[in-house]
Amino acid sequence: MLQTTTVVTTHRFEQGLHFADFVAQATVNRDRFEQYYQDSPLSAEDIAFFRKAASLPNGPAKILALAEAWCSDVYRELPTAARIAEAAGMDLRIFLRDQNPDIMDEFLSNDGKSRAIPVFVFYTKEARYITHFTERSAAAHAELAAITKQVASEMNLPPETTFRTVPEANRQAFIRNLIARITPRFPDWRKQSVKEMRSLLSHALNIPDRG
Amino acid sequence: LRQIPIVYTIRGCDACVKLLQKWDAEGVAYEERRVELSQAVLNEARTYGSMVPIIVWPDGRVQQGFEGTLGCFII
Repeated sequence: MLQTTTVVTTHRFEQGLHFADFVAQATVNRDRFEQYYQDSPLSAEDIAFFRKAASLPNGPAKILALAEAWCSDVYRELPTAARIAEAAGMDLRIFLRDQNPDIMDEFLSNDGKSRAIPVFVFYTKEARYITHFTERSAAAHAELAAITKQVASEMNLPPETTFRTVPEANRQAFIRNLIARITPRFPDWRKQSVKEMRSLLSHALNIPDRG
Repeated sequence: LRQIPIVYTIRGCDACVKLLQKWDAEGVAYEERRVELSQAVLNEARTYGSMVPIIVWPDGRVQQGFEGTLGCFII
């Protein structure tokens, strides 16, 4: 978060949706939100860590999530944030990205060029910013890059080929091959997200990353 | 036989916006189907691809994404 002023006040935060209300208003992917919610990636040690963090005087009491229901990164990760909030007694509020551009503008990624979601922002009880997590973990990003390179190699494309640069003639097969490799990785990516959120909080609060 | 392309889009998807702006400027006729508005349309779009914008041309050819702008995954 680069700016020092924020549109996220306590009053604004309270206007966000609870997880159940977000899922209820979703027009797509409700089955996946429910499935991923039932299948929590949190270990007992994870829960102990988030509870300990939340118990600190300046610890996380609120989680603001920016989301849209059509997004696969959102249905994969948002249920985890809901589980963390429930386990640690935090208040999770969800804001639709496309209806809240002023909040999204505070958490742009890729050098201010991307409105990647989900974003999970941890705040104190008084709505003071602590840290935030965006889209997927660094480990998952690295894995996605490695898989992309591997698929390009198997298709005899230049190793630096990406979604943006793949020739039109190869695009369909490139995307299909990539998705087939990525989807089975979702369960591990969820665990890596939890690990990264723990690390972010541990660093921001200056506490050990253990339960 | 269908005479105009179908394009599956999401509001707020940069690549979708750029594609439709280009087509509107060129006077291209198309049928837009917004995948975030209904599960049925999302399921339909998923049969053609994983990244919007997805264009289904009248001859059955399918295109995903748009000219170097990263689209949005709908897997």
